[in-house]
Amino acid sequence: MIHVEPTLNDSQIMRFIHNGYITLEGIINPDFNRECESVSTGHLSDFVRTGECRRNLLLHREVAGVARSLLGENFIVPTSAHHHLFEAAHPGQTWHSDGLTERGYGITHLQCYYYPKAVKIEDGPTMILPGSHHRLVDREAIAHYGDILGQLSLTVPAGTVAMTRYGIWHKAGPKLNSDRRGMIKFSYYRTAMPKRDWARDSDEIPSYRHAGRHLYVTEVESYRNRRRGELTWRWLCGVAEVEEPIPPLQLFNTGIPLSEIQL
Amino acid sequence: MKSAVEEWLDTCIEKLRRGELTETVLRDGVAVLGLQKQLLLYLYSKSTNLRSPLGGWAFYDVTAPEKPVLPSQEVPYTSVLDAVRDGWRIVQFPRPELHNFSDVDNAYLGFEFILEKFV
Repeated sequence: MIHVEPTLNDSQIMRFIHNGYITLEGIINPDFNRECESVSTGHLSDFVRTGECRRNLLLHREVAGVARSLLGENFIVPTSAHHHLFEAAHPGQTWHSDGLTERGYGITHLQCYYYPKAVKIEDGPTMILPGSHHRLVDREAIAHYGDILGQLSLTVPAGTVAMTRYGIWHKAGPKLNSDRRGMIKFSYYRTAMPKRDWARDSDEIPSYRHAGRHLYVTEVESYRNRRRGELTWRWLCGVAEVEEPIPPLQLFNTGIPLSEIQL
Repeated sequence: MKSAVEEWLDTCIEKLRRGELTETVLRDGVAVLGLQKQLLLYLYSKSTNLRSPLGGWAFYDVTAPEKPVLPSQEVPYTSVLDAVRDGWRIVQFPRPELHNFSDVDNAYLGFEFILEKFV
């Protein structure tokens, strides 16, 4: 099996639990970025299965390192993706989470956004709401929401990959120009129950450190986030008291285990 | 921004000063009232207290052109009360009994006040 080294340590795992995302800025090879700028829009399958795409993106040391850290050793590598391409100016999408928000404490699904081209604020960058990944809502019932304190516009250099907890609220921001703004979206999944096998500093499991309150969050919501964060942390560490199986079937789950991939 | 009613009133005062105010002009006021447009402001307060700070907002202005507007991180008002002070009227108050209480689960932004203003 291809060996993928976990890249996150305890503190970074806790930060991901709290924020629901991590961005790896400008890490992808510029030649591959240029090639991806002209990839067709919509569903992608053949391109995603190429050795080139796997080497440059899906199994890139840093991208796969995060997937390995958060999803365990033999994670599912995507075999399909979706190219979201915007050209004309538009007022922006409404806040939503994709598909059906996944319940539970465990981290079993990472949804990634790859930007082959630099994204400026006028280009209608993806916006995310840090810490919103646990808020179980009907996406049509939050369509009237506007600006939220702490929202983040992903204005990023070319070759950036944002890796998110599936349920995180996001949207394409308002686009003022007619330049092409592309984003290739794909997902990794977990196949085995977790254990603390990321880049840890010692064998002793540290206590979960709550990173504080997101700007839009109320006081009681922050207490809930702390409690939920602790449960997710202990689940990831394989602490028996937090029992929760991996969902047998996740919406849109396509991919093959890392062990079945040969480059 | 002056409302349609304020503009009509300015016209009436001007005509009154010039001695041109007539019954017809005054009756036009009824039509002006019908021309008023409703603006809507959603404010997400950190609690049911009208003095609480805000966590989010959305402004729906039917008089503005439909064009993209960049996102903002500057709250339009410091609180719901601050908006009321500026002439907004509350048309919906959050109902605490509709908020689920749980030890671990958060959901929609709370607490949602809906305000209106006519122009």
